[in-house]
Amino acid sequence: MMRVLSGRAGAFGRICGCLAACLFALASPAGAQDESPGSVREVIAKATTTLDTDQQREMVEGLASADPDEVTIWLKKWKQGEIYLYQDAEGNDMAVTLSGDPDPEARFALASVATGEPVTGADGQVARATTDDLYLADTDSKLRRVMKDVTDRMELLSPDPKERVKAVKATGNQQDITKLPLLEQIKATEKNGKVKDALDEAIAMLKLRSEDPAVRQAAVLELGEMGSIASQGAIKTVRREAEEAGNAALVSACDRAQLDIDGHISRVNTVGTVFRGLSLGSILLVVAIGLAITFGLMGVINMAHGELIAVGAYTTYLVQNLFGAGIHMSPFGMTVSIPGMNLTGNSWGLYFLVAIPASFLTAAAVGILLERGIIRFLYKRPLESLLATWGVSMILQQLFRLIFGSNNVQVDSPAYLSGNWTVNDVIFGWNRVFVIAFAVLIIFLTWVVLNKTSLGLLIRAVMQNRAMAACMGVRTERVNMMTFGFGSGLAGLAGAFLSQIGNVGPNLGQNYIVDSFMTVVVGGVGNIIGTVISALGIGMADQSLQQILGNPVLGKILVLGAIILFLQWKPAGLFATRSRSLD
Amino acid sequence: MSLIPYILAAEGLNKSFDGFKAINDLNFSLEKGELRTVIGPNGAGKTTFLDLITGRTKPDTGTLHFEQTNDLLKMNEYEIYRLGIGRKFQTPTVYTDHTVRENLLLSLAGPRSIWHSLFGKIRKEQEERMDEILHTIKLTSRAHAKAGSLAHGQKQWLEIGMLLAQDAKLLLVDEPAAGMTDEETYRTGELLLSLAGKHTIVVIEHDMTFVRQISQGRLVTVLHQGNVLCEGPVDKVQNDERVIEVYLGRKKKAA
Amino acid sequence: MNTPLSGKMPTIALAAVALFLVVIMPALNAGGIVSDFTLNTWGKYLCYAMLGIAVDLLWGYTGLLCLAQALFFSLGGYMFGMHLMLMIGKLGQYKSDLPDFMVFLGLKELPGFWQPFYSFPFATLMVLAVPGLLAWVFGYLAFRSRIKGVYFSILTQALTYAAWLIFLSNDIITMGGNNGFTDFRTVLGADIRSPETRRILYIASAVALTLIFIGCKWLTTSRFGLIQRAIRDSENRVLFSGYSAANFKLFVFVISGMIAAVGGALYVPQVGIINPGEMATANSLEAVVWVAVGGRGTLIGPIIGAIGVNRLKSWATTEYPDYWLIILGATFVLVVLFMPKGIVGIPGQIRAIIERRKHRQTIREEDLAAANPSPEAE
Repeated sequence: MMRVLSGRAGAFGRICGCLAACLFALASPAGAQDESPGSVREVIAKATTTLDTDQQREMVEGLASADPDEVTIWLKKWKQGEIYLYQDAEGNDMAVTLSGDPDPEARFALASVATGEPVTGADGQVARATTDDLYLADTDSKLRRVMKDVTDRMELLSPDPKERVKAVKATGNQQDITKLPLLEQIKATEKNGKVKDALDEAIAMLKLRSEDPAVRQAAVLELGEMGSIASQGAIKTVRREAEEAGNAALVSACDRAQLDIDGHISRVNTVGTVFRGLSLGSILLVVAIGLAITFGLMGVINMAHGELIAVGAYTTYLVQNLFGAGIHMSPFGMTVSIPGMNLTGNSWGLYFLVAIPASFLTAAAVGILLERGIIRFLYKRPLESLLATWGVSMILQQLFRLIFGSNNVQVDSPAYLSGNWTVNDVIFGWNRVFVIAFAVLIIFLTWVVLNKTSLGLLIRAVMQNRAMAACMGVRTERVNMMTFGFGSGLAGLAGAFLSQIGNVGPNLGQNYIVDSFMTVVVGGVGNIIGTVISALGIGMADQSLQQILGNPVLGKILVLGAIILFLQWKPAGLFATRSRSLD
Repeated sequence: MSLIPYILAAEGLNKSFDGFKAINDLNFSLEKGELRTVIGPNGAGKTTFLDLITGRTKPDTGTLHFEQTNDLLKMNEYEIYRLGIGRKFQTPTVYTDHTVRENLLLSLAGPRSIWHSLFGKIRKEQEERMDEILHTIKLTSRAHAKAGSLAHGQKQWLEIGMLLAQDAKLLLVDEPAAGMTDEETYRTGELLLSLAGKHTIVVIEHDMTFVRQISQGRLVTVLHQGNVLCEGPVDKVQNDERVIEVYLGRKKKAA
Repeated sequence: MNTPLSGKMPTIALAAVALFLVVIMPALNAGGIVSDFTLNTWGKYLCYAMLGIAVDLLWGYTGLLCLAQALFFSLGGYMFGMHLMLMIGKLGQYKSDLPDFMVFLGLKELPGFWQPFYSFPFATLMVLAVPGLLAWVFGYLAFRSRIKGVYFSILTQALTYAAWLIFLSNDIITMGGNNGFTDFRTVLGADIRSPETRRILYIASAVALTLIFIGCKWLTTSRFGLIQRAIRDSENRVLFSGYSAANFKLFVFVISGMIAAVGGALYVPQVGIINPGEMATANSLEAVVWVAVGGRGTLIGPIIGAIGVNRLKSWATTEYPDYWLIILGATFVLVVLFMPKGIVGIPGQIRAIIERRKHRQTIREEDLAAANPSPEAE
C-alpha cells in the first residue's frame, strides 16, 4: 500500500513540477515543511484522533501540499462521518473505516485509516464492530471551514488548467471577499493565459463585495470591459445597493458595464450564429454534393438519395459494432451474430476512420446496383426516374426497418469528436468543426476527381454530349455507372458524418432530401461551385433567421419561401448552364 | 427612313454566350412584302438572330422593332407571335402526339385565350382553311395520323402548313429544305415564292441551288461572325471577294 | 376527336358504372346487402379517386408532376374539418365551446379566422378558395419564372414541406398541431357516425366524382385539352404558337388543386380525422402511383388505380404489414419500367407487340423474297 501511495505522490510531484512546489511553499503555514508530513492516510488518522482542535486544524492545513485526489477523498469521508474511532487492545484510539457488508449481528470488519490494512483484534482475528460500538470522528464548523479552504485551494492549484479555470470561476461566483488574497497570490505566479483571464474576472467579482465603493466601481467597469457574462447578476446587485445608498457614479458605472456586456453577448451570438451557419451549411453541402453529381451532372432525380445517406450511416453503425461488442441483429426473423473486436477507448475510437471508406463503398455499391437495375433505362425520362427511385426509397426504408428495427440505433462518437473549444465565450463543438473540415475535404476530392482524373474527363465528356462521347469510343454505359456510383458514395460519406451529429434511423434520409434538393437547385444544376455557395448561403440564412426570430420552424419556412422567391429572380439557380436546343 | 416603311428593323444588336459573340453589332432591316434569304457559314449567328426576333433570347444591347411601333425586346415569345411573327424551326418541331389536323387547328389564326380554348367554336371557314392547307402541303390523306409518325420531309411541310394557318405577317423560315428530296425542295421553293408579296419572309438556307431558286434577283444577306458581311443579289454576293473568302471560297477550294 | 363508335360504347359503360356507384351501391347498403363498413371504405376510395384525377390532370395531361396534391387534398379536409370542429360544440371532452385542442393549449377565446367557419356555406366555399388561392399564388410564381419538369416537382415538394412545418406548429397557426382535428360529432345537425349520414356522405362522394369526371372529360377533349397535351409534349413550341403556356398551366394547376380539395373535404368526415401527416409528400407520391398503375393521361386510369391500389393496400397491410411498403415501392418501379401506360394501356401494349411481330414477319418475308428472287423475274 505504501508503495502505491508514494508512487502516486511521485507522479503528482512530476506533474506539478516547480510551479506547485513554489506555490505550496508560499501557501502552506510556516513550519509545515520541517515536519515529516507522512502519507495523507497517516495525517488523517492522526488528526482524527487528536483532541486539540487547533492542532487538528493545523494538521489539516498541512495537507495542502499533499496529493489533492487523496486529500479530497479522505476529507470528504471525514466530513461525511465515514471515519470512526476504535479503541485497540492497548486502549489507544485508532481511526478506522468500515469495510465489506455487515455480519448477522450488524458488525462490520474494520480497516485502519493509516494503513488501509484490516485491524487485528485481541483474538488475532479481524476486528469487527457495530457502528454503536464506535465513536464517530467529529468535525466542528471551524474545522470544516479549514477543510473547505484546503480543498478549494487544491482545486485552484490543480495541475489541469481546465480544472483551475473551473475552480477560479466557482470562487468568483461565490464572491467570498476573504478569498481575495489567495486569488491574488495565485495570479502572481499563474502562467496559463486562460486561467489568468478567469482569475482577473474572479478577482473583479470578489471586489464587487468590497467595503470601499471606489473599489466596487473600478471592479464594475473592469468587468464591463471584460464583457463578463457571468457577473451580470452580481453587477445588478451592486447597482441596486448603490441606488439605495444614493451612489450615482456607481449606478452609472453599472449601467455602462451592462451595456458593454450586452455588446459582448451580441458579438458572441453573432460569431456563434456564423459558426453554426457555417456548420449547417457544411452539413447541407455534404448531403447535397452527391446529389450535385447525380442530379446536377447526370440529370437523374434520385429520390433514394436520402436512403443512400442512411446506408452510409448504418454502415458506420455496423463498423462501430464490429470494433466494439459485435453485431447482433435479427433481420427477417433470423438471428445474425458476428463477434466484435471488443476494443475500448481510443483504439475503439478508430472505428470511424474505417467507417468512412466503408460507408463510401457500401453506398456506392448500392448506387451502382440502382443505376444498373433501374435508372439506366430512364435517362431520357427524368420524371419517371424520380418516381422509380421513390419506389426504391420506400423499399430501402422498409428494409432498414426490417433489418435494424424501427427505432434509432446508437452510434457513439469517438473521443476526438465529442469535445469542444470555448474561445471568448463562443463554443466550438469538435464535431461541427470536423464537419466543416470534412466538407472542405469532400469538395476538394470531388474537384480533383472531376478535373484531375481521367474518370473526371470522361464524366464531363459524357455529361455534355452523350452521343458524341459514345462516337468517340467512350464507354458511356460504364461512365454513367461510375458517375452514379461516385455520387452515391458521396451520399454514403454524408451518412457517416450525420451519424456523428444526429440520430440514425430508417427516416434519416427523408429529413435531408428536401434540403439537399433545394441546395442543388439554388446553386444551379450542373455546377459544383454553385452548390457550395448555395449550401453555405442557405445554412447561414437558416441560422441567422433562427437567431433573429427565435423560432426554428418559422426560420425554416422563411428560408423555403426565400428560395421560391430567389428562383423568380434566377430561375436556373446561381450559376445557369445555357443550352441552345429547344427543349 | 425610306418611303416604304420597314416591317422589321434591328439596330446595333449584340449577344454573347459565355464570352462567345454570337451576334456582333448587327444592323438589319426588312421591307414589307420582301422575301429575304440569309446565308452564312456555321456559327454566323443566323439561328441566334431568329431567336432574338422571336423572343427566345434577349440581346445584351441594341434595339429591335416590328412595324415601327412594337418594341420586340419588351415582349415574350407568345406576345411576339401574336403580333404576326411566325417561325419554322431548323429541326421540325411539331406536336408529335397530336394529329396533323390538330397541329393545324392549334396554329390557326384567332384568339389565344383560355376562355376561347374552352368555349370557342371552330367556324366553317376555319375548317375549310385547314382543308385547303392540308391540300397545299399534300397531307390530306394523313390528316388524322399522328404527326410523330410522319417522315422528316412531311414534318417540315406540316410546320410550314402551321405557319400558313397562322397567317403571319412575317414568316421566319429556318432551313426549310433540310432533309428533303430535290423535288420536295423545289416545291417548297415554289410555295415560298407564291407567299412572297402577301407576306414578308426571311429564309435561312445553306443549299445554294435553293437560294438561287427563291431569291431571283431579290436581296440576299450574308452573315458572318454575327455581323452583316454584305447584301445584294445572289450573283453579286457570290462574286464578292469577302464572301468567297469566308464562305463560298472555302467551299470552292474543297470542291 | 373520337369516332362515333369508339366514342359511344365507353360512354354507355361509364354511365353504367356511375349509376352503380351513385345509386345501386347505397341502395344495396340500405337494403342490408352491402355492409356499412364496405360502403364507408368505398367512400374513402372515391375520395382517393378524386385525388388521383387531380394528379393525372397535371401529370398525365399537362406533364407537371406535382408533389403537393396531397397538400391540397389535406387543405380541403382542414377547411371542412374546421367547420366540423366547431360543430362539436360542448360535446367535447372539456365541455367547452372551444375545440378541445384549444382548451388544451390554454386559449380563452376562438381565434378570429375560425369565427366564420361556424357557417357551413362559408366552410364549403373555403374548401375551394383556400387551396385554389394557394395554387394560384404558388403556380403564378413558379410558371412565371418558367420552372418546369423536375424543378417544379422539387419545388412543390418544398412547398409541402413548408406547409407541413406550419401545420405541425401550434405557435404559427392554430390548427391542432401534430394531432390535427378529430372526434367530430355532427354535420348539418346529423350524427356523423350514424349509418344514414355515412350513406349520404358516400353518395355525395360518388356524385362529386361523377361530376368531376364529366367536367374533366369535357376539359380534356376541348381545344383546351389539345393545348394541355401540347404543353406536356413541347412547351416551348406552344409559346411559338402564340399561347401563354404559363396561363394555361396556372389554370390547370388551380383546377386540379380544387379537385383534390373537394376529395379531401369529403374524405375527412368519412374517416373522422385530419392531421399534418396526411399532406406529406409521400402521400402525393402514393397518389402518383395510383395514376401510374391505372394509366395516366386517361380519366378512367386514376379511378381504377386509386381503387385498385387501395384495395391491395387494405389486403397487404393486414396480411403482410411488414412488407406493404416494399410491395408498393416494387409495384411503382415495375409499373414505371414495364407498364408506362398502366392497366388501361395493357390492351394497347399487347396490340403493339402483336403488330410488331407481324411487321417483323412481313419484313422477314420481304427479305426472304429479296434474297430468293422468283424465277419469273430472271
